[in-house]
Amino acid sequence: MAHIKVERRSMRPEEWTDLRFGWLKRYIYNEKWEIENLQIRDARQVKEMEFEYYSEDYRPLKKGDMYFTPDGTAFIKADVNIPDNLKGKELWFSLKTAAEICVKVNGKYIGGVDPNRERMLLSPYVDVNSTLHFDMMGYNRSKPDDERNPESLSVRGCRQIFEGAYICTINEAVQSLVYDFELLLDIAKSDLFNEDYRAFLNRELNNAMNCIDFDGDELTGVKEAKQYLEEVVFSNDTYKGTGDVALVAHSHLDIAYYWRRIHAVQKNLRTVLIQLRLMDRYPHFKYAHTQPYTYETLEKYYPDVFEELKEKVKNGQFEPVGAMYVEPDCNVPNAESLIRQCLYGQKTYERMFGKRVNNAWLPDVFGNSWILPQILKKSGVDYFVSNKMSTWNDTNRFPHNNFIWRGIDGSDVYACVPPTHFITWNMPSQIQANWEAYIDKDQGGQTLNMFGYGDGGSGCTEEMLEMMNRFEKLSVMPKCTHTSGAEFLEKNLKNNKKLQVWDGELYLEMHRGTFTTKSYIKRANRRLEEKFRTAEMLTVVRGEDKKEEITELYKKFLINQFHDILPGSHIHPVYLDAMADYEEIENALDKIIGSGSKYFNTLNFRRDALTFVENKKGTATRYGKKGNWLLPDMPALSSANLRKSGFSGNWFTVNNNKVETPFYTIVFNNDGSFASLYDKELSREWVKGDFNKLKIYVDCPGNYDAWDILPNYREKEITVNVVSPVSLVEGDGESATFGVTLGTEKSTWEMKIRFFRRGRGIEVENNVNWNEKHKLAKAEFNCNILTRKALCDTSAGFIERETHRNTTWQQARFETCHHKWCDMSESGGGIALINDGKYGVGFLDNSMSLSLLRATERPDVTSDIGEHSFCYMLVPHENDAVNAGINRLALQYNTPLVKADCEWKLPTFEPLYLQAIKKSEDGKMTVIRLCEQDGKRGKIKLAEKVKLLNMLEDVEGEADTIEYKPFEIITIGI
Amino acid sequence: MEKYINEVLAPKLQGDGGWVEFVSLNEGELTLRFRGECSKCLILHRCTEWIEQEIKRDLKKNVKVVAIRKRPYFQDV
Repeated sequence: MAHIKVERRSMRPEEWTDLRFGWLKRYIYNEKWEIENLQIRDARQVKEMEFEYYSEDYRPLKKGDMYFTPDGTAFIKADVNIPDNLKGKELWFSLKTAAEICVKVNGKYIGGVDPNRERMLLSPYVDVNSTLHFDMMGYNRSKPDDERNPESLSVRGCRQIFEGAYICTINEAVQSLVYDFELLLDIAKSDLFNEDYRAFLNRELNNAMNCIDFDGDELTGVKEAKQYLEEVVFSNDTYKGTGDVALVAHSHLDIAYYWRRIHAVQKNLRTVLIQLRLMDRYPHFKYAHTQPYTYETLEKYYPDVFEELKEKVKNGQFEPVGAMYVEPDCNVPNAESLIRQCLYGQKTYERMFGKRVNNAWLPDVFGNSWILPQILKKSGVDYFVSNKMSTWNDTNRFPHNNFIWRGIDGSDVYACVPPTHFITWNMPSQIQANWEAYIDKDQGGQTLNMFGYGDGGSGCTEEMLEMMNRFEKLSVMPKCTHTSGAEFLEKNLKNNKKLQVWDGELYLEMHRGTFTTKSYIKRANRRLEEKFRTAEMLTVVRGEDKKEEITELYKKFLINQFHDILPGSHIHPVYLDAMADYEEIENALDKIIGSGSKYFNTLNFRRDALTFVENKKGTATRYGKKGNWLLPDMPALSSANLRKSGFSGNWFTVNNNKVETPFYTIVFNNDGSFASLYDKELSREWVKGDFNKLKIYVDCPGNYDAWDILPNYREKEITVNVVSPVSLVEGDGESATFGVTLGTEKSTWEMKIRFFRRGRGIEVENNVNWNEKHKLAKAEFNCNILTRKALCDTSAGFIERETHRNTTWQQARFETCHHKWCDMSESGGGIALINDGKYGVGFLDNSMSLSLLRATERPDVTSDIGEHSFCYMLVPHENDAVNAGINRLALQYNTPLVKADCEWKLPTFEPLYLQAIKKSEDGKMTVIRLCEQDGKRGKIKLAEKVKLLNMLEDVEGEADTIEYKPFEIITIGI
Repeated sequence: MEKYINEVLAPKLQGDGGWVEFVSLNEGELTLRFRGECSKCLILHRCTEWIEQEIKRDLKKNVKVVAIRKRPYFQDV
């Protein structure tokens, strides 16, 4: 029998209610008086607070005119005399716009309008009897603040039609009724609420609307409708909701994303300004604002608004949250970078407000390294908040919302991974969804629901607060409490004995491509992390006072670790800004590092691995530059002159594709992959399958192009042709280099495989002309190793990762983040893979696959296109990675020798890694940061007592013996 | 014209998450390829009119822009 779907074509009662709701909204404004003498001047922002103008002067701006330009800022002004009939009333300024506009009247910032709000209160802030000089600065985005807000989405585009600006009065009765309907209609349309209650609502909302007469000359029945809702709907307590939800207001502000960092200054101003005005109108309103860097820009460029902010901090309404300087990516930065995020963030808050914060507020970051809890705890941070694992995981439901997060060294912090998105607009359905998704109902106390528009700032609206004021009248809602971030954390997590423990990294099962996208940025970040270490060390050793300069450079560097800059998820101009910053920072650091007559080993252990030193007369080549491979054999923190060995004997042989070195017998395939790698010392074969094989996969993750690699990426592989088969290209007394040129239809890939006379490492240098679209290049190594785990460097210890796919948890971790090395070993030996700036790696059974390059097109259509040069080094070894000293090899590989005339007079602190040495923030001490990276416990006896510090450089004790435990980071002051 | 598009206008569109590339100029008909956010913009015609105005002001040439949209694969529906 054919099935005939019955479609209702006549208007349903709910549609009739919706229609009249739209009519009702038209009566919100009582009076609207158009400002007709507006003038506009189009510009484009080129630097912080610097603009290029399209014209010498202003032009008139009339309703219906086109305004704004691509990436445009517009300055709009008018002198306004308020008409007599409006004086004495509560006046608003109204401008419906897609742009983000900050409004100044008579020199004072009054408020802002943007796609999320079209009006701002005027009358308490201005004298309506005098001429009001309006000065507006608007910034227009094709991508609105928040694509989740349909009204915002509908007005996107770089050229906008001006809809007029008005001085107006509001019909408070209508506005209040509109808020009532908005609240109740949201519940009526949400299947998260009781079906019978929704039927009741649909019936009674229709009845309430029936009180209003829309046909008369004037709107009547508003009061009656309001009364009906109060008596029939809000008084009804038959339907009981459950739950206990904490509502924390905030705004997510990406410092750069679909906009440049220079624009975040005004985005932040507008966001702060709007929240301050809401605080004036709603004294109970509290708002949490993160990222000390944004406070610095406000203080620098808008000191009057900053002073207002300070007052609101004092009265408890404006809450600084988030100890970190910006909300950084928490996968790729190394331990010292994350410590500096906390140090400079906390110091900034301390200077501005006389206090630190005890939370890390990282709602949008793409997973969190296992090294974080220790860093947070030692930086005065007891609480950690980050949303994405709950709402974005693509495979497993993260099993906690309120819990204890245990770090790699055993440090615990209280953690909250709220059940739902960090951008909501306080609608009942969103709050109900949060409660229903909340896992820790029995032991976690309240659930955290953040509200406020964001990505580009904007924050809370009057509408959100009006919704919140009505929640307690609805028995069907969970219990809702508006609270500050710190209050929520202290109340529900502190000393909560019922909380479960999560011991491990907070891996995000999404955005796995961000370990690889924008290869240049990752490499520069790695290189500069090392240069900061060297520069600070040398200034301390040489007794130079460069603290101020280095701090400023560090801050600029930390900004570029923001979670849409370093991960690569940004538009092209953001990339250009980052690269310009890196160049400026590197030049400055090189200048600080300077030069000298001898080489200095900045590592606090013996430097015993071959190192390439540039020399125009050298006989080897690396990255296109001549030089020599030297074996420094330098004790920790010592100086030496280095000379080439002078060895000129035949130490390797080549017979077709077979190569003999002192360590290995290698059989190449024509494409540079290894058919065999026989270890003469260990008498074993290392190859079992494709090994050092370049594989290029079709990489089409969809809308989250720059962010994601999908689990099925291996399904389609493109052919990599051998343009020029492997052959010997260079050899001297220390190294032998074999070259191969590979190619696809669009790209060429030159690989140089380097063996050494006196080293077990096998270096592979890659020089690539990359012109692909939606491809992922990986180097794959199928090892003759039986193991179920791989070790990955975290920069402050190693993490074990399973290589099988037994459960969905391992299946989801098909691509993970590592730092300088990873390793697969049996108890007798294994293979380490060391890199100089690659972070993505996958493991499956006996294979390691290092992610090398991607080619995404959203948000940057040219992402990663161009020339690339990078190296990785294979190190087959005896024993496991720890006993083989792989971490030290990787540190040497990533720490170039420098020339410096200096003498180290302090202990070397071996076997701990000297992670940093710097002048203390107060300038009174030398601060030394040591890191245990091998998972061992022990003691270091010192000749003199030292101060024991936390990471904020507070003195916590004194000792002449440093006791350390596995993966501990210890800070001392001398 | 190509230099002007690439060096003067393109950075502005890029700042907005968009992208424009010069394709050809034939007797006053300027063909441009739009990518990124521009490729799916509902009001791209306003931007192309602005481009025509900018070219007229800066290069003193009257052109009519023909827009080719190159949407990313995941939005090309």
